[in-house]
Amino acid sequence: MFQRILIANRGEIALRVIRTAREMGIECVAVYSDFDKKALHVRMAHVAVPLGGNLPSESYLVAEKVIAAAKQTGAQAIHPGYGFLSENARFARAVTEAGLVWIGPPPEAIEAMGDKIKSRRRMKDAGVPVVPGLVDPVEDARAALAAAETIGYPIALKAAAGGGGKGIRIVRDAAGMEGAFRTASGEARSSFGDGRLYLERYLDRPRHIEVQLLFDRHGHGVHFGVRECSIQRRHQKLLEECPSVVIDDATREAMGAVALRAGAAVGYQNAGTVEFLWSNGKFYFLEMNTRLQVEHPVTEMVTGVDLVREQLRVAAGEPLGYEQGAIRWTGWAIEVRLNAEDPINKFLPSTGTIHNLRMPGGPWVRLDLGLYRNMEVGVNYDPMLAKVIVWGADRAQAIQRMRRALQELNVGGVRTSAPAALAVLEDERFQQGDFDTHFLEKLDLSRARGDLDELVAAAAAIYRHRIARQRALETSSSERAAWLARSRSALSNHVAGAARREGGGA
Amino acid sequence: MKYFVSVNGREHAVELVERLGQLVVAVDGKTLDLSYEEVDDLGQVIVMRDGKSYGLSIEGDAARVQVTLAGHLYDIALEDERERAAHAADRAQGKGGGVLTAVMPGVVVEVLVAPGARVTKGEPILILSAMKMQNEIGAPADGIVKEVLVASGQAVAAGAKLVVLTPAEGG
Repeated sequence: MFQRILIANRGEIALRVIRTAREMGIECVAVYSDFDKKALHVRMAHVAVPLGGNLPSESYLVAEKVIAAAKQTGAQAIHPGYGFLSENARFARAVTEAGLVWIGPPPEAIEAMGDKIKSRRRMKDAGVPVVPGLVDPVEDARAALAAAETIGYPIALKAAAGGGGKGIRIVRDAAGMEGAFRTASGEARSSFGDGRLYLERYLDRPRHIEVQLLFDRHGHGVHFGVRECSIQRRHQKLLEECPSVVIDDATREAMGAVALRAGAAVGYQNAGTVEFLWSNGKFYFLEMNTRLQVEHPVTEMVTGVDLVREQLRVAAGEPLGYEQGAIRWTGWAIEVRLNAEDPINKFLPSTGTIHNLRMPGGPWVRLDLGLYRNMEVGVNYDPMLAKVIVWGADRAQAIQRMRRALQELNVGGVRTSAPAALAVLEDERFQQGDFDTHFLEKLDLSRARGDLDELVAAAAAIYRHRIARQRALETSSSERAAWLARSRSALSNHVAGAARREGGGA
Repeated sequence: MKYFVSVNGREHAVELVERLGQLVVAVDGKTLDLSYEEVDDLGQVIVMRDGKSYGLSIEGDAARVQVTLAGHLYDIALEDERERAAHAADRAQGKGGGVLTAVMPGVVVEVLVAPGARVTKGEPILILSAMKMQNEIGAPADGIVKEVLVASGQAVAAGAKLVVLTPAEGG
């Protein structure tokens, strides 16, 4: 096992990895941008190396700086977390070439799955079901319009290279194609340097179901069952659960087997997730995320397996040491992401300085966070601040527990997605399992309960009244200070004048 | 003092009267049995109503306040009588048009209109990139583009003026 590893990330995921590594007696090297010099991951690591720069492109995304930091501190391996360089095959290769261990899949597997078009082709060949759509990406809206006729609306536009919801748009009819293509292609170009998009049929009442995989370096793999991530907006997940109300044991095993086949087809190693769209009892391959995912904790809570520990073990060359039959699922887990965004105002990004922070606690509540008081939330980094994860004996209990946890939570200084998640959890359709990936988009989030309106309106008016009174007091005290200053200067002029007169007299 | 308080879009009239050092609170003409106490100077507040205690978190300024109560967010706009009259007069004169401002900090990716262009409500005017997402910013009302104050590639702060619109003639 490694003695020291470098974590090429920030925020909650850097902390997540540091925590397991510390438990295993492994020392952690953090890296950070100037912007993050006070961040939690810097303070919780054994060693922290500045990368300089404020933007990700000047720091966390500069492969040479990260590798140099690892060499300089004697780290033996690099954990990339998610985002940043985690799905960058060139970086994975450079890490290995520098004599370090890459805690992730082989670069060839990242490449095979990173390009959505190539991966679809490859999956089709491996006998994995895929959604009807284009095999080749298109470069302009005119070509997209032509292709859409054969596939049939509604159409999903997706960046040829990329993920994380960037460069994705849904087009309902031909009239909407041009505008959607322009913004999606623009996003894809600025995020991934490739503006090409590919088209596929958008499925009816789809649910997002994904399978967690783990392969060792000896060709042995297991699946950890499914997660459901249908509560999302613009393909950014908000709430995830493990397992799923629509997946019974037989379907779970069928999906697990298909996912393992998909992983094996690209020679996968380490942790990865195969995402499926599930619609009317059928499931289709969407993509494979060749990294640890944000929502991995729900699987950990239900299986009792620390996936980061497993990542470190298999990266160090250890065999898995267990078979599929050893994986057991107990109870239900839910995760809510706290993003800095305003759910009442179309989920627009919210920026500010964190204060008035109160995090939930109590039985079966887990917090994975990078959040602290006085933290500055800007626009240059991912808006996800923290994750709240709960476990319950069944789904109803997990929902109750998460509602309780979110009621305890308070984040001041920025708005967060928490009230949106609470509205989802309170919705009867969600509680009954009747939802799809459009659920959140359609949910009316301004419809907060009205029974406490009077109380809240009164409190707000009193708050304003007190601010006004405080200002009035400040004004009068500053007026008093000005009066004092004037009288002092008049007095000193008088004294100085008197002194001059006296001096003149001597 | 009378305030017009909009709670998530629902309007209430709140009247505050100081009587013998105590604040008497009436909402929509009904006097409430209510007391207000600050827990700290960060915005944690205890409100007692009819013998029940509620823990609130309040932040904001004079015109815009947000209250969190049991995990729920209440977005609140406040006006006193003088402000309400002034705002009503502004609205009466404005008749559409106005200045389009950035609702969030970001970078202007592309400006889709030029001065003199006629736009209809909701028509995309520019693309603003924030937190790695691109957002189409639409015209708030029908109008004519009078002035474009930003260029593509320019970083803008929240509230920055982007485009000035004049009301559409005869529209």
